[in-house]
Amino acid sequence: MTQIYSAFTIFTSLLVEAMPFLLIGVLLSSSLIFFMDESTLITKLPKNPFLGAIIGSIFGFFFPVCECGNVPVARRFVLKGLPTSVAVSFLLAAPTVNPIVLWSTYVAFHGQPHIVWLRMLFSLTIAITIGCIFSFQSDPRPLLKPILAKRLTLLMELNETEKIPIQETKVPEYSLLQSGSFILGSEGKTIKMDDNLLKNSEGKNQTISGWQKWNLFINNVQIELRELGGVLILGSAIAASIQVFVPREIILNLGQGTITSIIAMMILAVVVSICSTVDSFFVLSFASTFTTGSLIAFLVFGPMIDIKGIGLMLSIFKPRMILYLTAIAAQLTFIFTLSYSYFF
Amino acid sequence: MNNIKNQELWLNILDIIAILLWSLLLFKYWFTQELNLLIHPNYFILVLVSSVILFLLSIAKIIQLFIYHKKNFNQNNSGNNQHSNLLPKGWASSLLTFVAILGLTIKPMVLSSQTAMQRGVIDSLPPTTLETQSFLNQTSPEKRSLIEWVRTLNAYPEPDTYTGQKANITGFVVHLDQLPDNYIYLSRFVLTCCAVDAYPVGILVELPKSRSNFPADSWLEIQGVMKTATLPHLDSSPQTERKDKRHLVLKATDVKIIPTPNNPYAY
Repeated sequence: MTQIYSAFTIFTSLLVEAMPFLLIGVLLSSSLIFFMDESTLITKLPKNPFLGAIIGSIFGFFFPVCECGNVPVARRFVLKGLPTSVAVSFLLAAPTVNPIVLWSTYVAFHGQPHIVWLRMLFSLTIAITIGCIFSFQSDPRPLLKPILAKRLTLLMELNETEKIPIQETKVPEYSLLQSGSFILGSEGKTIKMDDNLLKNSEGKNQTISGWQKWNLFINNVQIELRELGGVLILGSAIAASIQVFVPREIILNLGQGTITSIIAMMILAVVVSICSTVDSFFVLSFASTFTTGSLIAFLVFGPMIDIKGIGLMLSIFKPRMILYLTAIAAQLTFIFTLSYSYFF
Repeated sequence: MNNIKNQELWLNILDIIAILLWSLLLFKYWFTQELNLLIHPNYFILVLVSSVILFLLSIAKIIQLFIYHKKNFNQNNSGNNQHSNLLPKGWASSLLTFVAILGLTIKPMVLSSQTAMQRGVIDSLPPTTLETQSFLNQTSPEKRSLIEWVRTLNAYPEPDTYTGQKANITGFVVHLDQLPDNYIYLSRFVLTCCAVDAYPVGILVELPKSRSNFPADSWLEIQGVMKTATLPHLDSSPQTERKDKRHLVLKATDVKIIPTPNNPYAY
């Protein structure tokens, strides 16, 4: 009984800790509704996948969110037609390479500032590498959730028919009951939320008023908060029960050698699912028992992949894609931190 | 058509309830100081701000719903299809509502000695947010808190340095099987972020009588004098050698049972 009670306490503590950051992320992602030049920004991105990946990975500096918050932002980017390579490198790098996280890491490790730099360096390198790898897949749709892929198909059609006048009735044709957020346009027509954003940014449609934008904003916050909050609850429940019901020693006892400590820390990072803004404080508790390389592995790998984050990422990608991401990120983290341990 | 509209309305209302309850929950944690049991004080303000934002959001949503409902607009909001298929319709908000109600009714518990044992009672301090500063040594011994003692000990580990120094510390009782019957481990959790990473630290105490008088998890204020003793390793993990080791021990002269403090964790 006490076990269940303490699992519940840890569960709520994870939620209470993560909820504000989730809220910040959702508010930021929804406020992109107000920035109508998103799509033009996307068209201005360099076509070179390498440069695109670099830019994607430093987006985090402008969207300072942790891994609970970057998924809604990334999803919004994908919906707006951001290339997969940029979106993936944003998704992987943003939770680490942003001012808030670097600051908290510095606060925690001000005795060992090299941890801060290595964390940033490794995360950037991995994010850019993976971004480049996925840029070879020119059509991102097979990787996305079917519903997102459908949206993207619409978007591509839209781009192809850029020169041809757009028929207003195109979307409602195929189905009466569509998914998506709708608002009421002029002349009593309903406008699909994201369609409107896209067309609007290209100046092909009537402008929507501030009041309507505000409505969209509220609806989007509501939807994302509900969906991501629900998933956050499931993830936190899993993380809390593993922490309480599996003795920490089982995980920690793996962590004596150079290699096993890195592997153990990476597993711990996945299990604990702690927010990247605060994970450096968490990992500090292991600073005496674990190798520096393994601490960096925790700090680099944790924000990219963890149980809670996988739950959230499932709202963008197909499970297969997440498997690829996990495998590549894990291998790169392992190689980098192992060579650090080996050479220093 | 009407059915769908009704369903949308109910889903919206369920969402509003979930958001409102979460705002209430966060506010309750902040207001009743129960946040102390969950997260580090640095993040309290974030929780309060979130609670206010969620409250404003639910108000905005109510106004929006009211306006649309009154004007009988066809405000379609079946957006959850587009956003996520991970959870069936209505589940996410039900889950949020359910957890919020659980949180509102169940008080978070103070982590117990069981958790301490599970997280590993170790001889030395796992380095925490505050690095040991040498000036800590200048505080007079009897004014040091348990955490300050552990930090000082971590910086200057030789137990003999402290022999004869007076101490007055509070913490909760952990019974360790490998210790003699009149020994307890007086412990406190150090919180660096939230209850997830609460780490037990502590000092061994030699009691004047058997530890069975002081059940595990009871809170004690102990006055006494420091001494050293050769005792088994505290760390019960299989890899540690089973050799005895010299420990700093507080020989208790006065033991008072105190109620669990409002803020049981140290930072």
